[in-house]
Amino acid sequence: MTGRTHENDPMTILKEPVLTKRIPTHPFGDPADRKVVSYKQYVKTDGYKGLGNALAMDPKDVVDLVKAAEVRGRGGAGFPAGMKWSFLPPEDGGRRYLAINSDESEPGTFKDRLLIDFDPHIIIEGIAICMHACRLDTAYFYIRGEYHHQREVFEAAIKEAYDNKVLGKDSRLGKINDRWPDLFLHRGAGAYVCGEETALLESIEGKRGWPRIKPPFPAVAGAFGRPTIINNVETLAVCAPILERGEDGPTWFQSMGTQRPEGAPPHVPASFGPKLYGVSGHVNRPGVYEEELGITLKDLIEGLCQGMRGGKKFKTAIPGGISTGVLSTEDYDVKLDFDITKYDTLGLGTAGVIVMDEDTCMVGVARNIARFFGHESCGQCTPCREGTNWMAKMLARIEAGDGTTRDLDLLLEIAGSMGALPSGRGATICGLADGANWAIRTIVNKFWSEFEAKVSKQRYVSLSVVGG
Amino acid sequence: MAWITKNSGTMQIDRRDEPYLTDEIKQKLEDEVVPRYDTRMAVTMPALHLVQDTHGWLPQQAIEEIAEFLGLTASQVLDTATFYEEYWLKPHGKYVIWVCQSLSCELLGQQGLTQQIGEHLGIGPGETTEDGKFTLMSVECLGSCGTAPCALVNHKLHENITADNFQKVLDALE
Ligand SMILES: Cc1cc2nc3c(=O)[nH]c(=O)nc-3n(C[C@H](O)[C@H](O)[C@H](O)COP(=O)(O)O)c2cc1C
Ligand code: SF4
Ligand code: FES
Repeated sequence: MTGRTHENDPMTILKEPVLTKRIPTHPFGDPADRKVVSYKQYVKTDGYKGLGNALAMDPKDVVDLVKAAEVRGRGGAGFPAGMKWSFLPPEDGGRRYLAINSDESEPGTFKDRLLIDFDPHIIIEGIAICMHACRLDTAYFYIRGEYHHQREVFEAAIKEAYDNKVLGKDSRLGKINDRWPDLFLHRGAGAYVCGEETALLESIEGKRGWPRIKPPFPAVAGAFGRPTIINNVETLAVCAPILERGEDGPTWFQSMGTQRPEGAPPHVPASFGPKLYGVSGHVNRPGVYEEELGITLKDLIEGLCQGMRGGKKFKTAIPGGISTGVLSTEDYDVKLDFDITKYDTLGLGTAGVIVMDEDTCMVGVARNIARFFGHESCGQCTPCREGTNWMAKMLARIEAGDGTTRDLDLLLEIAGSMGALPSGRGATICGLADGANWAIRTIVNKFWSEFEAKVSKQRYVSLSVVGG
Repeated sequence: MAWITKNSGTMQIDRRDEPYLTDEIKQKLEDEVVPRYDTRMAVTMPALHLVQDTHGWLPQQAIEEIAEFLGLTASQVLDTATFYEEYWLKPHGKYVIWVCQSLSCELLGQQGLTQQIGEHLGIGPGETTEDGKFTLMSVECLGSCGTAPCALVNHKLHENITADNFQKVLDALE
């Protein structure tokens, strides 16, 4: 690779690129040199070796290997992939599906796109490994509607995979559930909520993207009522280099990242492996960077992103897409791993980091985010449908200078009463409302004085008091 | 998202003799798409996309034709079509400009940009120029936050846009 500056870049921890091995990325290579990696080039650079190793193994052993590596989902929730794969019921001869989540619509998130744009075969290899391991015969690559160029690149890669018998008739995977394994692209049409795994399944079935009530979980009754695994693009892609190393895969994977939090019980997963971080906002060099899980925000900004734009001071950052909420200014040094929940955020999310400088108006940020959720709510649950739009209206009013202190308390109360998690009182079907809840609450709480300065004083009367 | 409600009971449907779902499209769907899914209903989105990519938007008659082809009711297809933002149930300009208004883009100047584009074209978001050339849309994150602000013009993504360079893009369009 050209332009390697790693040795003199003290801020990076990743020793060699993994997911970006074939996609020149700072500090290992220059993005200007990027080209789509063809099937041929992919194979030449050890591609599909992981699949070869997987096919030589018993499917169950492949699941165990991924479980041993402790690969956590890269799509938002960080759920251990191997564990998810082991929830499938025994085969019954009927169809079993894989749905690959490439909806990537969370503001701040553009990492999966890098893989699709330049190295689609690492994704297809991961898909094939998963299909073999979990005995899944049909896979749908659910790609967001606006990824027009990416759709073309991926369709071409699927064709190459069929031509080379990765998939389709006479596939090297052999027949699964008595069918040749297939991979189809399913094009979305502009709906953030379809990234939620059960909304995604509804969308594949041709319906509006309304998240389903769980249980039943997709592993038992997913697409067309059949057992289905849903994984993020990056989660599947990272399985390829693990399997490439065979039995040594898990140890290799765990040589990167951070250990489980000190004192945590063994069932709490650690944060292992490499991770794609998509950094946007007020930094000098935004972009997607690959790093070990646990790189600090400070190192990411000052190293790979070459510091804050215009020499401005850091104010806050969103760790992984707007759903995850904001960090305090003092948290500049946090480790960006799955344990980031301890900094009063919803989690690492998609690791789409949005950096904001000292001049950023947090009221405006909250208004933008509330508008997003209001716009994207599917409308099924009242607290989410009404609450998000209510917050958006209030925040627009506060920003215009027409708010009162009462509005601020009301904002916190509305935000805190939506979501599928306990923090949202389990009041909704899906996590979209949890995102709105955490984003708005953390912004208002952590930057309270800024909000207070915008509003005039008025006594707060709780909704529950008004109602009763 | 959510719902677009309209008065379908008294709605007049424009009809033409020539079908939107041509035999050619039907054949393509039957050969290439229907076998991919377990139900015909699952062909709804691909069918909507295909008709829209051919015709530009989805007239009510096309919705009915798709429904008939898939063995569904028109309301089922309409239900899906109205949910997704990319489907057009009315005509739009020759070029649709989708400006991202989500956070990373706003942080890097999207608001001023939308205003300038709008002023230049003499329209606001959701509107079409009188000559039918441009439709301006404010949309949410396009998955290109690292090169914000950005906008799609039809299917082409433009990144790191400024009022100046985007002006040139628009001027170059026929
Ligand atoms: C509103 C909402 C939107 C989501 N959008 C995405 C998305 O665009 N891509 C994604 O991979 N996961 C998304 N998720 C998470 C998925 O529901 C699911 O957890 C994930 O795809 C599982 O894959 P993983 O285990 O490999 O991370 C979203 C979740 C919610 C609640
Ligand atoms: S929480 Fe919101 S987006 Fe999720 S199902 Fe309920 S209304 Fe729809
Ligand atoms: S915020 Fe504009 S592309 Fe993501």
